Amino acid sequence: MGDKIVILEDIQKTYQIGKVPYQVLKGIDLKVEQGEFLVIMGTSGSGKTTLLNIIGLLDKPTSGRYFLEGEEVSKFDSKKLAYIRNKKLGFIFQAFHLVPWATALENVLLPLLYRPDGFSKNDEKRAISLLERLGLGERIHAKPKELSGGQQQRVAIARALITSPKLLLADEPTGNLDSSSSKEVMKIFKELNAEGLTIIMVTHDPEIAKNGKRIKVIEDGIFVDEKQI
Amino acid sequence: MMLKYRLLWGGLFYKKLRLVLSVIGIIIGVSSLLLMNAFGEAAKIRTLKEIETFGPEVLMVVAGNVRVSAGRAIQTEITTTLKPEDAEALQKIGGIRFISPYFTGDAIVRFAGNTLSTILNGVNEEYLILRKFSLEEGRNFLKDEILSYKKVVILGNKVKAQLFGKENPVGQTILINKLPFKVIGVLSPIGIDASNADQDDQVLIPYTIAISAVYNVDYIRGIFISVEDPSNLHFIEKQIDSILSKRHKVTEKNKDFTIVKAEDILQAKTQTTNLFSSLVKSISVLCLVVGALGVTAIMTLAVNERKKEIGIRKAIGAKERDILLQFLIESVIITLLGGIIGVVLGVVLTLILLPLFNYPLIFPVIPILTSTGLTIIFGIFAGVYPSYKASKVDPIVLLRSF
Repeated sequence: MGDKIVILEDIQKTYQIGKVPYQVLKGIDLKVEQGEFLVIMGTSGSGKTTLLNIIGLLDKPTSGRYFLEGEEVSKFDSKKLAYIRNKKLGFIFQAFHLVPWATALENVLLPLLYRPDGFSKNDEKRAISLLERLGLGERIHAKPKELSGGQQQRVAIARALITSPKLLLADEPTGNLDSSSSKEVMKIFKELNAEGLTIIMVTHDPEIAKNGKRIKVIEDGIFVDEKQI
Repeated sequence: MMLKYRLLWGGLFYKKLRLVLSVIGIIIGVSSLLLMNAFGEAAKIRTLKEIETFGPEVLMVVAGNVRVSAGRAIQTEITTTLKPEDAEALQKIGGIRFISPYFTGDAIVRFAGNTLSTILNGVNEEYLILRKFSLEEGRNFLKDEILSYKKVVILGNKVKAQLFGKENPVGQTILINKLPFKVIGVLSPIGIDASNADQDDQVLIPYTIAISAVYNVDYIRGIFISVEDPSNLHFIEKQIDSILSKRHKVTEKNKDFTIVKAEDILQAKTQTTNLFSSLVKSISVLCLVVGALGVTAIMTLAVNERKKEIGIRKAIGAKERDILLQFLIESVIITLLGGIIGVVLGVVLTLILLPLFNYPLIFPVIPILTSTGLTIIFGIFAGVYPSYKASKVDPIVLLRSF
């Protein structure tokens, strides 16, 4: 397969809880290639969310090295990390996290606010066609609370895609959805992956995990198992 | 372009009650600041206007002791030792232009069933010119009328309006404390003078008849004097002092008269005006501080409530600086919104209240500018803490809570 998009070398993360250090990640090595659909599976407390935070540049490892598209991002400052997040990463959260006062369309456009070159004329058209593609063409001016869970998550997907990211990170994307909405979202993920988008998804649900091409199981801060599908 | 601002500050109008609450404090602060400033300005203008009727060339000899306080000459002790002859004696001083003895008292005036209580001032024929009062109708006293105890009267503008309405009163006879007086003139509207007396609410009669027939006394309350050259004022003041001291056989210690100059009144008046306006200004700045603290409190609350929104913005690429700026400007928008409403309210209140309290009507341009400027400063000041807090929100809150 192609280039490595993510390389993690001996990533460790220790939280200080009071005076007691608590090691969440105990040496994670990971290589993710362009076009992969990797699922990280684990129970709560296994460290899977912390790992996704680190891959998503929302948190910094205590030690270890992280290369994103060949750049050692573990050395970047917060300003540069914000720029990389905006340019290369897309996030999908379990609780959708749409901005409550903004419409679906505005939520999708939000990441462009923080792009250095600002808005261009086509952005709105692109956002609308993304929403149309995700089956929300009729709902572009709806507020999040007027949308169902599945619709909200699709808005969130459109928001993640508007910047044409290199890597899509999803944290339990179906955790708050019923089974039919879950299937729909997974179908979208598979389509996006088929078009070449690299996806890393975290879940505890083995049924959802089956949608990935490769599954890594994390337990107590360390990878224990891997299977290729 | 609009889209950009909508995405940045659309959240402002999401919680409307909260917005209104935080704006109210600012509205109160700004409108009171504006109102107080406007009153201060108007008070200054009023003082200057009042002083015009008591010009720099005018001196007043007052019987007894007088304390100039709050812009008024307050008679703290009334003596009966100042006589009309004293006024005659002062006429010898060179450099005096006009001189008028002066007696004041309350009076009941009556005409055709209309009765009202007003101030009666007994003066001579030079008084009107000395005080620069002009006549709307009729004529001034004649010297002869003063000397021969004629019962003639000049009406203040309000007295005329209340007794006669729109009719011309000249030639009519009115009763003053039951004595008949012939109306010979009506004063033009003057307003309130430096001694805080409404000069439209008075009647003027010859001082001779005032002390002899109306009040039955042999003394006067004061003497108005105007000099030819204001730069001689101090010199003339000294001469008056020595002549009267000699005539009354008094020394500096037991003096039974006081000399009041426009200067003294002006000084005391500006002092109190300044004290008053600095007091109310500091109170209204305090109001604004409280308002700003209200904005701070509510913004801090909003930041806590909007942690997720901030987290999302950060996750999708907002830098700390972007968030800081967003909330800082949000706070300025809130305060400015309150500021604009406050200014409008303040202007409306000013325009209503100034005439109500007999202040000259001014459009408060400088107060508007200062309160707007202060609001922006306070807006930034109010937003500093919540904005800093917002910029430090850690985006990993997104992945933990749901």
